[in-house]
Amino acid sequence: MARDIVVGSNARCAALICAVKTFISDYKCPKTKEIRSHLNIALKPCFTYLSQCRMMCVSMENFIKHIKLQITKSSPDLTESEAREELLEACEDFFKENIYLAGKSITEKAVNRIVNGDTILIFKKSQLILHILLEAKAQNKEFKVVVVDSRPDLSGVSSCERLTAAGIPCSYVYINSSTYIMKKVTKVMLAADALLANGYVLGPVGTAMMGLIANTYNKPVIVCCETYKFCERVQTDSILYNELADPDSMLKTLNAEESPVAGWRESPNTRLVNLVYDTTPPALVSIVITEIAELPCSSAPVVLRRGAVKM
Amino acid sequence: MDDYVAEFERKRKNSKDTPVAILAIHVLNDFVSKSNVGTLQQLLEQLKELSRQLKATAGSSTTSVASGCDLFVRFITLSRGQNAPSSEIDILECKGFDPVRKFLVDRGNLFMKRLKDSRRKIAQLAYPFISDGVTVLTVNMSRVVLEILMKAHEKAKKFKVLVTESEEGPLMVKKLNDQGIQATLILDASIGFVMERVSFVLVGAVGVVENGGLINKLGTYPVAVMARSLNKPFYVAVESFKFYRNYPLSQLDLPNDAKYENAEDTKHPEVDFTPPKYINKLFTDLGVLTPSAVSDELIKLYI
Repeated sequence: MARDIVVGSNARCAALICAVKTFISDYKCPKTKEIRSHLNIALKPCFTYLSQCRMMCVSMENFIKHIKLQITKSSPDLTESEAREELLEACEDFFKENIYLAGKSITEKAVNRIVNGDTILIFKKSQLILHILLEAKAQNKEFKVVVVDSRPDLSGVSSCERLTAAGIPCSYVYINSSTYIMKKVTKVMLAADALLANGYVLGPVGTAMMGLIANTYNKPVIVCCETYKFCERVQTDSILYNELADPDSMLKTLNAEESPVAGWRESPNTRLVNLVYDTTPPALVSIVITEIAELPCSSAPVVLRRGAVKM
Repeated sequence: MDDYVAEFERKRKNSKDTPVAILAIHVLNDFVSKSNVGTLQQLLEQLKELSRQLKATAGSSTTSVASGCDLFVRFITLSRGQNAPSSEIDILECKGFDPVRKFLVDRGNLFMKRLKDSRRKIAQLAYPFISDGVTVLTVNMSRVVLEILMKAHEKAKKFKVLVTESEEGPLMVKKLNDQGIQATLILDASIGFVMERVSFVLVGAVGVVENGGLINKLGTYPVAVMARSLNKPFYVAVESFKFYRNYPLSQLDLPNDAKYENAEDTKHPEVDFTPPKYINKLFTDLGVLTPSAVSDELIKLYI
């Protein structure tokens, strides 16, 4: 994950689930200890290692909470292999319910929002949003897509590739020209990495800009987010809690020249800040589509309160 | 089932004062107590079909009938266990359908009782917002708003009312004048002119949608935008059975049968949609709510 081979909150969580499953299958409980108490202790250094490689995202943190709870809740009467089976099933169920089936349910609801003649703006690459658009195309809806991309990872390019391969007319712009293109757009669809308890949407950096510009031009902003990504944290700005990605990736210039700030490490006055997330206030979001319901952004805390998240 | 629809039509003709949705719920309640089906599934299906038929004959009140019937069915089948969260009624615990039917009828009667009281409760909550010397602007005829204004008048408050002409504005003015409340009819075009003199806007509703937005007679949206731009509070008085399970993102997103009187004439809508950001407070029988609280309430009922 640190080398950006696995990207995206769903993919990273799925990868974590696979890794934990492998760990549990290979795990042998010491004779003197109970699996309930010992497995958690055994998993701890693994999670610490992972968070040192790259900071955990909210989806991964929520899965870890879930699996820890399943481990402590497991019955002491079960044999070791039975307990292991149960935990493996818990992992699989978590994936199936919260990622796979939730994705399908959200896709169904979101596709209903897409009508013929729409021009939909998406930001960079999101597995869920691409899935929605491809499904809408499969249902023979006629629409266009504008992909807004930004440096340094330029993941919008692969979004564009996948959409055009499916026969969806695509435009590709950099984030600098988003105010220009927003006039021609009918809807904006964004994916979220997390939904915070005060209704703020945590997404890849640039999402807040998309929300703000869409609001200025009065375009509806649709955020798609599974409920397992709802988190209890509260923040009103992007600085309080964020992740810094590799600053050297900002040095890549478009014309292969050396960047003027290549020597930034030596200079005491220059710093490169490559933020990963930003927060979008709930007032800028028209609707959040989750697998349970379509909610206004301010109602996210209600879902947490109702315990609807399968924790 | 046809006699129930006929009964509904008859009730509509006879009682102009009761909201159409309450009459529809009456009919559904009757249907539940007199039905002779053997399973819950069957009953729910029949209720759905009857609701659909009632909705089809409801004309411009389609949204409130739809939401009312939906909420009725949801309410009667909701049973709260002691420790468990709200869940569908546990039919495995009952032997035979009769105890289940009794449960449903009891819930239905409870729902009816709460409904009857709703307008009175709303008037009770809302009238303190009217103090001496205010000028209230309202759109078209609304029986809930009428009740609130009458209650305030009863408590000897001195206030003025401006009513936009819309379709039934003159009727509202007449009713207010009959009660001794000073009411003036204004043209829809003159809301820009009068808005600076208005203290706040109070309107009724045909329906309230999931994000707290308002569906009301055509002409409400411009009043809301005008009020917002001059910083005047915009209040909505609405009964809770009008909470409609829909989430429009634009004017065209409303379903066709909500917008138009008959399905063929799709040129001139009857209602418009006011987004939640223009609404300050909603006076409902569940309390004084903000638009974001509406979805909380709906989630409590449906999820």
